[in-house]
Amino acid sequence: MTFTAPVLSYTLLSPILILLGGALIGVLVEAFVSKALRPVVQLTLTLGTLLLALMQLWRIRGEQSLTAAMGSIVIDGPAVLLQASILIIAIISIFLIADTEHFTPLAAALPGSAEEREAAQSGNQVTEVYPLTLFAVAGMMIFPVASDLIMLFVALEMLSLPLYLMAGLSRRRRLASQESALKYFLLGSFASAFFLFGAAYLYGFSGSITFAGIRESIVGGGGNDVLLLIGMAFLSIGMLFKVGAVPFHAWSPDVYQGAPTPITAFMAAATKVAAFGAMLRIYYTVFANAQWSWTPVLSGIAIVTMLLGSLVAISQRDVKRMLAYSSIAHAGFLLTGVIALNKAGLDATIFYLFAYGVATVGAFGVVTLVRDSSGEVTDLNRWKGLGKRSPFAATSFALFLLAFAGIPLTSGFIGKFSIFSAAYESGAKGVVIAGVLSSAIAAFFYIRVIVLMFFTDATEDGTGVEIPSVLTQATVVISAVVTVALGVYPAPLLSFISDLATFIR
Amino acid sequence: MTTSTNIVYLIALPLAGAALLLLGGRRTNKWGHLLATALSASSFGVGLYELSQMLGRSEEARPVSQKLFEWINVGTFNVDAGLLLDQLSICFVLLITGVGTLIHIYSISYMSHDHDRRRFFAYLNLFIAAMLLLVLGDSYLSLYVGWEGVGLASYLLIGFWNHKPAYATASKKAFVMNRVGDMGLSFAIMIAFATMGTVSFAGVAEQVDNTSEAALTGMGIMLLVAAAGKSAQFPLQAWLGDAMAGPTPVSALIHAATMVTAGVYLITRSNFVFDAAPTAQLLVVIVGAITLMFGALIGTAKDDIKKALAASTMSQIGYMTLAAGLGPVGYAFAIMHLLTHGFFKAGMFLGAGSVMHGMNDEVNMRRYGALRKFMPITFVTFGLGYLAILGVPPFAGFYSKDMIIETAFNAGGAKGIILGSVTLLGAGITAFYMTRVMILTFTGTKRWDDEAHPHESPWLMWLPMAILAIGSVSSGYLLSRGDALVNWLHPLFDHHEEHEHHLLEPIVVSGLALTMVAIGVAIAFVKYSRQEVANIAPEDVSIFTKIARQDLMQDRFNEAVFMRPGQALTTTLVAADDAVVDGTVRGVGQIAMGSGSALRGLQNGFVRSYAALILIGAVALIAAIWVVVQ
Amino acid sequence: MKWLTLLMLLPLAGAAIISALPKASEKAAKQAALGTTLVVMAATIAMAVGFERDNVDLQFVEKYSWIPSFGINYALGVDAIALVLILMSTILAPVVVLAGWNEAHGGRWSVKTFYILILVLETMMIGVFAATDVFLFYVIFEAMLIPVYFLIGGYGSGERSAAAVKFLIYSLVGGLLMLASIIALYVMSGAQGGHTFDINRLSELQMSSTTQNLLFLGFFIAFAIKAPVWPFHTWLPDAAQSATPGTSVLLLGVLDKVGTFGMIRYCLTLFPEASKTFTPVIMVLAVISIIYGAFLAIGAKDIKRLIAYTSISHFGFITMGIFAMTSQGQSGAILYMFNHGFSTAALFLVAGWMISRRGSSTIAEFGGLQRVTPVMAWTFFIAGLSSLALPGLSSFVSEFLVLVGTFTRYPVHAIIATFGIVLAALYILIPVQKALHGPTTPGNENLKDLGLREKLAIAPVIAIIVVLGFYPSPLLNVINPAASHVISQMGFTDPAPTNGGK
Repeated sequence: MTFTAPVLSYTLLSPILILLGGALIGVLVEAFVSKALRPVVQLTLTLGTLLLALMQLWRIRGEQSLTAAMGSIVIDGPAVLLQASILIIAIISIFLIADTEHFTPLAAALPGSAEEREAAQSGNQVTEVYPLTLFAVAGMMIFPVASDLIMLFVALEMLSLPLYLMAGLSRRRRLASQESALKYFLLGSFASAFFLFGAAYLYGFSGSITFAGIRESIVGGGGNDVLLLIGMAFLSIGMLFKVGAVPFHAWSPDVYQGAPTPITAFMAAATKVAAFGAMLRIYYTVFANAQWSWTPVLSGIAIVTMLLGSLVAISQRDVKRMLAYSSIAHAGFLLTGVIALNKAGLDATIFYLFAYGVATVGAFGVVTLVRDSSGEVTDLNRWKGLGKRSPFAATSFALFLLAFAGIPLTSGFIGKFSIFSAAYESGAKGVVIAGVLSSAIAAFFYIRVIVLMFFTDATEDGTGVEIPSVLTQATVVISAVVTVALGVYPAPLLSFISDLATFIR
Repeated sequence: MTTSTNIVYLIALPLAGAALLLLGGRRTNKWGHLLATALSASSFGVGLYELSQMLGRSEEARPVSQKLFEWINVGTFNVDAGLLLDQLSICFVLLITGVGTLIHIYSISYMSHDHDRRRFFAYLNLFIAAMLLLVLGDSYLSLYVGWEGVGLASYLLIGFWNHKPAYATASKKAFVMNRVGDMGLSFAIMIAFATMGTVSFAGVAEQVDNTSEAALTGMGIMLLVAAAGKSAQFPLQAWLGDAMAGPTPVSALIHAATMVTAGVYLITRSNFVFDAAPTAQLLVVIVGAITLMFGALIGTAKDDIKKALAASTMSQIGYMTLAAGLGPVGYAFAIMHLLTHGFFKAGMFLGAGSVMHGMNDEVNMRRYGALRKFMPITFVTFGLGYLAILGVPPFAGFYSKDMIIETAFNAGGAKGIILGSVTLLGAGITAFYMTRVMILTFTGTKRWDDEAHPHESPWLMWLPMAILAIGSVSSGYLLSRGDALVNWLHPLFDHHEEHEHHLLEPIVVSGLALTMVAIGVAIAFVKYSRQEVANIAPEDVSIFTKIARQDLMQDRFNEAVFMRPGQALTTTLVAADDAVVDGTVRGVGQIAMGSGSALRGLQNGFVRSYAALILIGAVALIAAIWVVVQ
Repeated sequence: MKWLTLLMLLPLAGAAIISALPKASEKAAKQAALGTTLVVMAATIAMAVGFERDNVDLQFVEKYSWIPSFGINYALGVDAIALVLILMSTILAPVVVLAGWNEAHGGRWSVKTFYILILVLETMMIGVFAATDVFLFYVIFEAMLIPVYFLIGGYGSGERSAAAVKFLIYSLVGGLLMLASIIALYVMSGAQGGHTFDINRLSELQMSSTTQNLLFLGFFIAFAIKAPVWPFHTWLPDAAQSATPGTSVLLLGVLDKVGTFGMIRYCLTLFPEASKTFTPVIMVLAVISIIYGAFLAIGAKDIKRLIAYTSISHFGFITMGIFAMTSQGQSGAILYMFNHGFSTAALFLVAGWMISRRGSSTIAEFGGLQRVTPVMAWTFFIAGLSSLALPGLSSFVSEFLVLVGTFTRYPVHAIIATFGIVLAALYILIPVQKALHGPTTPGNENLKDLGLREKLAIAPVIAIIVVLGFYPSPLLNVINPAASHVISQMGFTDPAPTNGGK
């Protein structure tokens, strides 16, 4: 038998390859560099890798190819945009991750055990998070560009596994953290099972694993629609799970709360981009012609997601849980962009993903700042009067909340407006109404937090704000600046997106 | 129409005075009152000058107008700030500024002990200005400004001693009841604009002929409401009695001589409307008749000298309204009675003030008595006024009142007889209660204790009284000599000379009237002069007296019908606003909150239930797609 | 010269200067704020001089592309209506700063922050009236809430944070309804000749009457909440009660006008047919507001709430005038907006001084002020008179125009509304009697009368009230063309005299 060497267009794949390379080097660093140096080396290495990848991405912008990797990866405008967003979010999240306060000194040790204490005293650090992050990022980069089911699944697992791990690495409340990691893992696997199952059905329907193939048989018709429908449904579950859409959202509040905040930030922001990126590609290209069957269902999910997310968020007492539910609500808003199924919808969703991701990282960045002697304070009641103690933290957090609420002059408003108008244009009026309604509900609890921070006096003190590293501060500031800039003058980015964002098939 | 540039000074002078004194503050305390008096006097001077000019012109050329500036001009709604001085308004101008000046003079002394005298004079000037604007405005809207202006001035003056709660309340009551009347005026103006497209007197007069009677009747009734409010006519009369809370000169000027006659002015000014709207006109007569009796009856039971006089004012204005309601034949007599009444009633009020001045501000007549010898001048001037209001020839009231009674009888048919007898009866009752006042105050035995040291008032006070007394004696004769006033006003009112069938000869009417008066006097004499008068009001009196003492229940009525329900409504609405309107909003919030925490229950922390949820979701998803596809 | 942009930049510049000042220098901050607002006022007047009266088109137009991919422009321009309101706002601003010289103390944050917020708000007040791009309008309309929210919640008194939240939620909900309508308009414009937010082009959109009605409601409810019209009013009394007097003046005097302004500029222009459809309902709501507000004012125990309720009554008049569709009603309503700004300002500022002296806003706590503090009592009384629309004061002209203009087309509504003038006498004279008359309540004997600063602040307001009462023509002549333009755009003409059907 003859073996044909695979043809890979390395330039187009370079960003991904760079990340993988960086990740591997990171592993070697763990093996060969001395404890003392590791943190610095890893950080510089990771940042370097990400920046390099980003530069590379910039070089290949505008290029298009269906055959970057034997037809299993497609590089086009949306791909570049999504990957760029992921990288940027990753970079600012790394700043947070760099603050070791959040991570257990020794993941293997039992919570509260002696060796854990020793590890803590000996200044041990789990610098493994850096390569893990890079692996996850690589997975996320592939997820939205995968163009066959196998690659898609590989990417899904590749981005998930490191996250499962990192979710369990929290320094404080380790049990909760580990519990959340386990939950995430179990439920994630469950969802992945559905995903695979769906993939199988689609193969059964079309006899092909490539997106192109599946689309052709949908267009051509004649295939067994039952297989198609079940396949679509199950595949969707896998992705809806990742974006935390109702009723596949249950994991996110617990995991968001349990995971180390920097990881939560990274996960909340980057995973959404990746997962929605993949959904966009699949629904806009592959399933586009089966629209009649899935848009109503997806609309239903979107509505439920928006409303439930907003409603439940009202009654939350914990910052991280509240942000979790707000991210659920936003998943709903983003789904309206998927439903729109038009150019405007594509542009809007990409813009929204970026704007929301940045704001989310910023918000969680602020959460990492609010601490007392025993670490982060996420109980909202203890955020009372934060405005007095730390105008910086409170003001920036308020800004991010306003962005989430979609108040004009913040990126959130432009995002909401563009995504709703796209959905409306596609005739999904009901979804838009629900969106507006739940925005009203959402506004209510965002404002509650602002009141808490600014208009109520601290009951008991001890909650302080410390700026651990200039990096964390940088994250917050950058996110804030971006949030405002995109609110006041989004024109450049919007036109940049609409110029690039067209799927190729 | 001839234009003039001086009319505005009539108003400007006193207005400037008011502004100067109010803004100037204490600095003007020294000379403020003098300035105010001077300005009022000079306004009177301007009035006289204008009169002389007017006399010099031919009848049709007498009215003069002055356009000041464009006031409100929107679409077809064009109102200039314009003034109109004609035969009718000149009468008022002279009355207002003349009597006004006298009362300024009187007040210089009367208020000399009040540390707020300057403010008092500022208000007086403000009133003069507003009242002049009222009678000089050339459209209903500019009249409206003066109309509420005098209301404001009266509010300020009634409440001049507003640190006394009762007085503050009285002033508020006056303003609010006046506002009810003003509402009528607004309606009238709206009707005028909506139906005739104009609100100027001239414009409306022109349009009357091609306007439906219904519209005119509506407008007329609304004008009557306005008049009732200002002139304390039934059913808006209740405020006048309380208005006596103000310093006595105020009662004399505003609540006797001038402001309260504004209603009569409005009706006569709007003669063209009423002449074309018989129903409205009839209502005017009825209101006049009712008020005439109403006031007279109240007058018989009042022990407070000022309230007695106030009641009589109400009744006398009833006469005027009645006359004005009799149409072209009556307008002139209404005005004549208005003028004579201006003299004698103002005179008597000042007299009352002078008595109070001598009696430590005691107002209860049962604590007077035998003051004749202590304050002779007051007695004489008051007495002349008394004779005048009784209508004893040849005093002023005789001419004016008899004319009204006569015209009433001549109204024809049952109407004529009823109105005639009402006016006659009124004359009798008037005689009774005025004699009562006279006796209780000046004759009989002294019923005041020794703190009081009755004494005649200084010349600054009795001089105006004297002058007014002269007026009470002569004005009637002068005005009716050769029908002077009737002819003077004639061009304003279109006499379509339907031959007045005389039901009774004038002489007979006078005879009847005098007999009634004689009877009234006699009864009073028997009742109060022959037997001792208790210095505290006896309680064992007829139910009628009791009711009369309570102003025929007018306040009880208003309370029961308007105040209490109003207050109830207010409290209900206040409660409802919070409970219902705001409650609904809060409710929505609660629901959102509640459902939030309810849904939160799904999040129980068990992986198994989460997995179950996913499974259910998967099934639901399939089901949903199935439904869609089918 | 780019007048409007200049007007909007000046306050921001002032804010920048203030933020540059050292934290301690409160006096400097105040002076800077006063100076800035005065400059803005001067600039506005200078601009107004160049306004062409009889030209009903937008003037001082500016247009720059802002978000091209959505066809959004930074587009400004004023007609007479906007001009008058901007004038009012910029005249009120320095008055508020001067009158509330010390009201920033006792706030949660520094005095500097207070004035920065005020100045930022002024920029937005100008922008919201000047915007001719619906998107820009919406952005400012919403963004405006933030400074007010912090002004109430940060510097108010009593239940300030609750009131601030209530205000914000109400406004946000209204705003979101409007946003839905705006999105719909935007999408439709895309289908009909290119995405745009230009008010003139949007007004030419073709849409089914159902759509038009729904979109109209989206806008109208947002404005009805702002104005506020019954039954969307319950946020106002709370907000007014908690806010500082100065903030209340800006809130009731200016921000609420955005509601009535919006009804003319957006509801009528964009949805003429729907406006006609809903007029009967709106007229009823307006009349209810007039009477209802008056009764609640009569029943109010707290002087600030009382003023708030009187405003609800007054906004009823304005709304009625707008939808009466006669030139008198329209001009009256517009003039009313202007006058109401000043009479409310006068009432609130004097009330504020009374409250700060007495340390309570309960009417019953006052009494006999006439003798203790005559000047303050007089200013309050005059402000009250203007609020009850005494002839000879500015508010009478506007109120009567509204009534007469309404009467010619809706006599019944006008008649019911006219009963409001009796209620007005009550809701003003009752507090006047309780607070100013009667014996001096213990504890009030030594209250200080108005100082020079306070006199300087209130004098221009009263002057405007009186002068415009006798001589409104200068303003009316500016307003009339715009007003009759609105009427004719809506296809209405003033009813001719009926001669009572003869």
